Amino acid sequence: MNALKSVLISISIAAATTASLPVLAMDGAELYVTKTCVACHGKDAKTPILPIYPKLAGQSPDYAYNQMVDIKSGARSNGMTAAMKGVMHLVNEEEMRAIATWLGTLN
Amino acid sequence: MNQRHLFQVAILAAAVGTTGTLWAEETSDADRVHRAEPVDWNKGGGEQDEALHLEPDIENGMDVYEVCAACHLPEGWGTQDGTFPQLAGQHRGVLIKQMADIRAQNRDNPTMYPFSLPQSIGDAQALADVVAYIESLPMNPAWGKGPYGPGTEEYALGEQLYKDNCVKCHGEVGMGDVEKFYPRINGQHYAYMVRQFEWIRDHKRRNANPEMVEQIKNFSDKDMQAVISYTSWQPVPEEQLADSVDWKNPDFE
Repeated sequence: MNALKSVLISISIAAATTASLPVLAMDGAELYVTKTCVACHGKDAKTPILPIYPKLAGQSPDYAYNQMVDIKSGARSNGMTAAMKGVMHLVNEEEMRAIATWLGTLN
Repeated sequence: MNQRHLFQVAILAAAVGTTGTLWAEETSDADRVHRAEPVDWNKGGGEQDEALHLEPDIENGMDVYEVCAACHLPEGWGTQDGTFPQLAGQHRGVLIKQMADIRAQNRDNPTMYPFSLPQSIGDAQALADVVAYIESLPMNPAWGKGPYGPGTEEYALGEQLYKDNCVKCHGEVGMGDVEKFYPRINGQHYAYMVRQFEWIRDHKRRNANPEMVEQIKNFSDKDMQAVISYTSWQPVPEEQLADSVDWKNPDFE
């Protein structure tokens, strides 16, 4: 009985997990930390480790997204981008979009 | 003077003021990464020697480590994909040397560079402190292993290459040499080691030991992958590993 119960629970958890994954919005705030943006741009996204790195809080989501895409692809390679290029393989387009959207919500 | 021009002057001044000449004078990453000649690989002296001989304050080291943890993770385990190396378990002298080299611009690492600066980390004492803290961390029991496990043809090739080229300095299972600043390489992520090996072979990592550059100059990419994969399959002493892959550093919970 117990075994059956735990199997049923497992199945329902698995079903719930797979069903809800595609509709879950990605958490930009969490990605900002796990993808290491936080290391250089600061916990509040406006205290960069070097004054020549940009503040990102409140940035236009489209602008931020486009810069990420261009730095990742190498289309943009000027300025301080060498420091960022090395970690851009950690994010895909959807994740960059989620981070950019979240940055736009900050003050 | 128009506003835009003023702005550019201000940027330039900021760049020179904060980071020395690295960013301001050079035009691209390629210039930095491909600088031709290796520097003296281990001059020692200066900050490196100073940090090595200071009495470390582990408590302060923990505070300093917070900034490192963003990429190397609170556990110091780095990432299996090799983006960030595992720091836990590495020899103290090697860690100090690499930090001192990155901040003296003897090892080109644009991503890490700002974190190596005195205003991020602190002075030689802080260097000694943070390294002592890292030394206190147990190693990742699930480091990134190469694609060629025991029993494969590539593993056998790697084993032979290791015996012929690596064992003299890095030791039987890759423990390195504390006294000579030879890093331990067992327990390190495969992908990270491949990248560093390639940069050393191709003269892109300027603080490499010239003896190693000479030793591996004829390695093909296949040789490189085989020997690094072999290395990544070598054991790490049990007592140096965390009890579980799920271990979390309680200092940063």
